[in-house]
Amino acid sequence: MNGALTVMRKDLVLLWRHRSGWLSAATFATMSVLTYSFAFDLVTDDVRPLLPGVLWVTFLFAGIIACSRSFADEVEQGTFDAMLVAPIPRSSLYLGKAVSNLAALLTIEVAVMLMATILFNTTLLTAELAFIVGVGTVGYVSLTTLLATLGSRVRSREVLLPVLALPLLVPLLIAGVRATGGALDVPNGDGPWLLLIVVFTIWSAVGSALLFPMVVEQ
Amino acid sequence: MTATFAIEVTRLSKRYGTTTVLDGVELSLVAGSRTALTGANGAGKSTLLAILSTLVSPTGGQVRIAGYDLQTQAVEVRRRIGVLGHRPMLYEDLTPLENLLFFAKLYGVANPRPRAEAFLEVLGLWSRRFEPVSVLSRGYHQRLAIGRALIHSPEILLLDEPETGLDAEGIELLDALMLREPAFTVLAATHRLDRIAGWADSTANIERGRLVSHQVSAEALAASR
Repeated sequence: MNGALTVMRKDLVLLWRHRSGWLSAATFATMSVLTYSFAFDLVTDDVRPLLPGVLWVTFLFAGIIACSRSFADEVEQGTFDAMLVAPIPRSSLYLGKAVSNLAALLTIEVAVMLMATILFNTTLLTAELAFIVGVGTVGYVSLTTLLATLGSRVRSREVLLPVLALPLLVPLLIAGVRATGGALDVPNGDGPWLLLIVVFTIWSAVGSALLFPMVVEQ
Repeated sequence: MTATFAIEVTRLSKRYGTTTVLDGVELSLVAGSRTALTGANGAGKSTLLAILSTLVSPTGGQVRIAGYDLQTQAVEVRRRIGVLGHRPMLYEDLTPLENLLFFAKLYGVANPRPRAEAFLEVLGLWSRRFEPVSVLSRGYHQRLAIGRALIHSPEILLLDEPETGLDAEGIELLDALMLREPAFTVLAATHRLDRIAGWADSTANIERGRLVSHQVSAEALAASR
């Protein structure tokens, strides 16, 4: 656990110092929500049925941008190997990385939801929505962190990560959109969608932690 | 656990697909020995060091380091090795002090700060301890990498072209802290054949993935008996 905390603290410091990674993701998310708001303004007065899709698609792509650099910089500087020769369990390394990615993405998501609340004139900062987005993000980051590791030694990693991640994230996307719709009183939002998010998150977190040691072996 | 040999390599092989990189390597190094690993580019030196560092899994054979099996006791092995490559393996957006503190904590070093600060003084980096590593020269990177490799007081040093980027003063530090320091068992891949006599007591030569010779100096042989 100490190893995971050490890695997480270091990653958070690096996230702050080397802002280009998560600022790119934040800029993308901001522009995305802003563009949707202009587009929807022209065609409908009630944006609530569309909002869940806007939010989750924005979260997914912003997350891909934020997570893709998390291991790439380590591999480029050789520090990933320096961590791999340290006597800490591989799972601690994974946990530290995943938690720092989670912190970055949750920050972006809160900003997006604040902005969407203003632009779409709909209350999004509720406890129910926070729970749905929070749990879903844990599952999302767990899987994306593993896949970012897998692609970190490949030259075309920016392309590889979405190609690998998005098909696997489809169940989470569907459940996230439906559950968010339910929280916004959109028709067809009822159903065991929150349960599906929780199951996906457990599967993703446990599976990724178990697979990580194999992924980093050469 | 006591070990007769610090490093014991038995019938070690490594293949990538159909390409054989290491083929039946046998190498035994007694504790405290200092061995230069020589050979042409692509001979398999770096792959051998990567396997001993637990970064690459072997295809076949057995390796014991400080008496611990590399495959089944990798964490114990990692506690006992210090790794220095031709790449410094440092965080460029962290300062030298932050880099050493991070690795000290990762290795569970007690009182990491005084130890990191002591290394910065010895390595001549004290006055630059709060600057980002990215603004330091290549030579300073390698000096700091020496500190990173030694911060946890390893028993065995695995070095791959350790002189890379170092000036004369840096090479003196490398010699004093690593290559000639009697506390360590050293295995270092090098192309600096002119320097080997100054620090090594044995030379292992690899050609096309095979260990073709392992010559131990008369003094070292006498000392080991």
